[in-house]
Amino acid sequence: MSQMQEELRQKAKELLEKGEVRYIIGWGKGRFHHRPPIFIYQAEDVDKLVWDEYCVANLGKYLLDDKFPEGKIGICVRGCDSRAVVRLVQDKQVKREDVCLIGLPCTGKVDQEGRELVKCRDCMHRNPPVYDIVLGEPVEEKGNPDRFKRVEELEKLSSDEKYEYWSNVFDKCIRCYACRNVCPACNCRECFVDQYRVGWQGKQKNCMQNQIFGLTRAYHIADRCIECGECERVCPVGLPLMELNRKLIKDLNSLFGPYEAGVNPDVKPPLGEYRLEDPEEYM
Amino acid sequence: MQFKKSDLPKILDSMAKEATVLAPMKVKGNSKFAPWGTEGELDFGAQNVLLPPKDCLFPQTEKMYRFETDGLKVNDFEVINESRPTVLFGLKGCDMQSILCMDDVFLTKGYVDDFYKKKRDDLLTVCINCTTVAKECFCDSMGGSPNGHAAADIQLYDLGESYQVKAQTEKGQKAVDSWQQYCNKDEGEIKEIACELKVDMDGVPEKLAGMFEHPIWEEISRKCVGCGICTFLCPTCYCFDIDTTKDGAEGTKFRCWDSCMFSEYTRMAGGHNPRPSKKERVRNRFLHKLEYFKERYDKNLCVGCGRCVAKCPVNLDITSFIDQVKEVASHE
Repeated sequence: MSQMQEELRQKAKELLEKGEVRYIIGWGKGRFHHRPPIFIYQAEDVDKLVWDEYCVANLGKYLLDDKFPEGKIGICVRGCDSRAVVRLVQDKQVKREDVCLIGLPCTGKVDQEGRELVKCRDCMHRNPPVYDIVLGEPVEEKGNPDRFKRVEELEKLSSDEKYEYWSNVFDKCIRCYACRNVCPACNCRECFVDQYRVGWQGKQKNCMQNQIFGLTRAYHIADRCIECGECERVCPVGLPLMELNRKLIKDLNSLFGPYEAGVNPDVKPPLGEYRLEDPEEYM
Repeated sequence: MQFKKSDLPKILDSMAKEATVLAPMKVKGNSKFAPWGTEGELDFGAQNVLLPPKDCLFPQTEKMYRFETDGLKVNDFEVINESRPTVLFGLKGCDMQSILCMDDVFLTKGYVDDFYKKKRDDLLTVCINCTTVAKECFCDSMGGSPNGHAAADIQLYDLGESYQVKAQTEKGQKAVDSWQQYCNKDEGEIKEIACELKVDMDGVPEKLAGMFEHPIWEEISRKCVGCGICTFLCPTCYCFDIDTTKDGAEGTKFRCWDSCMFSEYTRMAGGHNPRPSKKERVRNRFLHKLEYFKERYDKNLCVGCGRCVAKCPVNLDITSFIDQVKEVASHE
């Protein structure tokens, strides 16, 4: 890890000194085990960059804060961050030529007790699929044979049981919208939740309104979820949001063929294009 | 006076006959103050309960009145202000302090909020001292203490196998009198502890008063994701919105928690937003916690419970911010 960190700092220094990027988005040191996102503008600050097993936050979303940058933005990308950037580029939120992707093959991150994060356990792309520079050696992909295991279990429930299960889940939601705010697929200029005058979403916190939020969001990102698992990681009340996202991915795969969002920038999301052979039975 | 920990369920049972007893419980994986006797198990772990107790005085969604209309005429109008005797059992010092902050807001300076007051009058507070602290705890830097709170109706001290009881108000004494059958006259030695995480608040509110235009806000807010975790887990964040649901002629007015971290929070009727970016929102939250409230009520609005420090997805940490404020030069 520390060798990679050294390489990263060297590369960052070089990019900043040569003026190839205006700043670099990476991870820095926080109060405890935290490695919060940091923004490095000066070559002399590159030693603030950290690369270790605690760099958990997905960085892609920060590109939305600077959509018309004065110069390129350098951004550290693991597999999940790289897919997030592809997501944003495909959604025409970010221009590919505005970013310089510094690829970091990743062997998974841990929480403060040293346990592997769920999102990393389920990761299928430890190597960034898209990058401009890559550091270190590629790591072995482990795949995720259990990707839809939980979904299949839930599919076996009766309608009533499913309703009860999801009601229990969303009953706990506190509507902090952290899942939405970290999600690279949630890049609407104005979220339906905030369209107060239209009134899609009531501000009451109750099971029904919570479900309206959770289900609408899930459907809204259906073919664009990059499975980074950030929604689940940040949820303060531990909702199993990826179960819902994976159910939709599984259904889309069976309707339109296998698709993984954010992996190949040239393949459009299934709901984002029309093909003559698209199935019609669901219409 | 003491009672054995093994008698605690009986004491809670007896109180639950006349009141809703809210105790720290683990309910479906989440720790919160939940009614004793419902699903879940008592959880007096070292870490504070995840969800703050403010919901019992200031519910996340609270019906205020219902009405029935006929065109522009209101036919029926009824204020809904429901409350019943409630015990908040097992508060830590930080959460007790948060209730005092809320009292200031909802009960003082010439305006009394009836909805809050009714619930507050019905509330009995029972504090327990902390025997361990979480690494994010810093209450003793913010004017509180892990060793108890003088404003609680009853203060309990954890002695390992038993609790030592100290009634601190008349209301508290009355409740303790009803526990007599479980209590003996023993007095034990109370161990005091301190938080490991320290911040130095000396001069911070005064310094912040001159820092509204300081570049620090741009810098620290950069990583903020703009979610409401910090405000909704905060025991003292009290901002709310009022809205209506209407179904045909009948409707209900309700108020619900709002968050200054949301863009919609300050958006005005014409669409203008005086806090257009996260810089202004983070600035407002930290200044409210550390400066404005101190000026108005002479208390820190941050009680050092550590919830936001533990749960912020990107470690936008108020304690690191306080450290930084001490270090930076005031903005000229």
